[in-house]
Amino acid sequence: MKLTLKIWRQENAQTKGKLVTYKLSDLSSDSSFLEMLDVLNEELASKGEPVVEFDHDCREGICGQCSLVINGKAHGPEEHYTTCQTHLRSFSDGDTITIEPFRANSFPVIRDLKVDRSSMDRIIQAGGYISSFTGMAPEANSIPIHHDIAESAFDSAACIGCGACIATCKNSSAALFVSAKIGHLAKLPQGQIERNERALWMINAHDDEGFGSCSNTGACVMVCPQEIQLLDITRMNFEYNRALCYNKD
Amino acid sequence: MAVKKGLFKTSVGRKNLMAVTGLFIIFFLIIHLVGNLILILPDSFFPVEFWGGVENVHNMYNAYSHFLVSFWPVTLVAWVLYAAIMIHVIDAIIITLQNNKSRGEKYQVTDNSTSNWYSRNMGILGTIIGVFIVIHMAQFWLKYKVLGTEHDLYELVFAIFKVRWFVLIYEIGIIALGFHLIHGIESAHRSLGIYPKKVMNIIKYVALCFSLVMAILYAIIPIILYLK
Repeated sequence: MKLTLKIWRQENAQTKGKLVTYKLSDLSSDSSFLEMLDVLNEELASKGEPVVEFDHDCREGICGQCSLVINGKAHGPEEHYTTCQTHLRSFSDGDTITIEPFRANSFPVIRDLKVDRSSMDRIIQAGGYISSFTGMAPEANSIPIHHDIAESAFDSAACIGCGACIATCKNSSAALFVSAKIGHLAKLPQGQIERNERALWMINAHDDEGFGSCSNTGACVMVCPQEIQLLDITRMNFEYNRALCYNKD
Repeated sequence: MAVKKGLFKTSVGRKNLMAVTGLFIIFFLIIHLVGNLILILPDSFFPVEFWGGVENVHNMYNAYSHFLVSFWPVTLVAWVLYAAIMIHVIDAIIITLQNNKSRGEKYQVTDNSTSNWYSRNMGILGTIIGVFIVIHMAQFWLKYKVLGTEHDLYELVFAIFKVRWFVLIYEIGIIALGFHLIHGIESAHRSLGIYPKKVMNIIKYVALCFSLVMAILYAIIPIILYLK
């Protein structure tokens, strides 16, 4: 396969970036998108040019490290994929592919396609936890949970925190990400103790980090690798309003 | 930990306020439509013996509009409505400015296949509706209720809808309203946290049907009056 790549190159958050065109040939359609970038970087390194920086880790769709907006869509053309699961067979020979970083004001560019997503970590630190001694793994049957509730909580917990929802949202809202964590813990008995505070703390942290409001367009859901649902955001709004009623501060 | 709460202080609070004011305005839209459908009824619809002195659509419409401006509870609700519209607009501006601040650098390539155009452009649709409301109120509310220069509202309505340009402006406003409603009704319920899946599926369907019916019924009034 032959591909023309237009890749966003940017020194750091303070400098202006631009698209730079690279041409690659002899690519296998079975190669993954990130392997294609590895090939490019090897070429660049052999010429003594600075390599294209991009985030990646597990390369099997679990860790949430890979990012990239490919031809205007977070994580590339396939629905509910991560970038690392995207393969060149999703493109045609001779295609021009534009690759940009996840963009949001709260995602400053570190270099090229790599952005700082620690704002999401700080939202989790604000309330995405339960306060209890973990110790040994407890006996599984000591807290009975209905199968459907356990499944539903697990569906929300599946969020890998990649930030594609934020990169796609026209308002750079992190509502889908925040709602996944609030929903996950609100559904389980272990999450009840801090249920009210969690909703208030996490939504406060979301706003303080500079993310926008949710317009319920559903664009985030379409790019989410874990298929977190718009209903999670609706549930989050319920949790927030519920917390307002119960909160005594 | 001190938390920010309340309607204007968090992103969810601001959306709640949008939802509540929006749903209240929708309640008004229904009443407004029912009243104005009188305009397109045939004259023979009102039998003299049933309506007392009201023997045709002309008198019925004027009697109805006179009742609206003279009955004080209606005036009270009207003031709540003006407030709701103002809050809806101001809140929308605050949310939009905040969202613009949150957005990073523009993408060089955009793929809009992941959402509907009208859900992305609620602000633009709202602005069209806002301009339309100003024109609409200047034509009727100002002349009939505030200045009192026009006494026969039925005649005024007919005079205005004989102008092709005005009919066109009304149709544009109504189409914008229809699309604003389709997304607005669903989004308002989501913002308020009506989350059971079955309920949300019904709301989605109701939002679409309701918006279509409202838009079509509103849209036919200027056209029928133009042709009458």
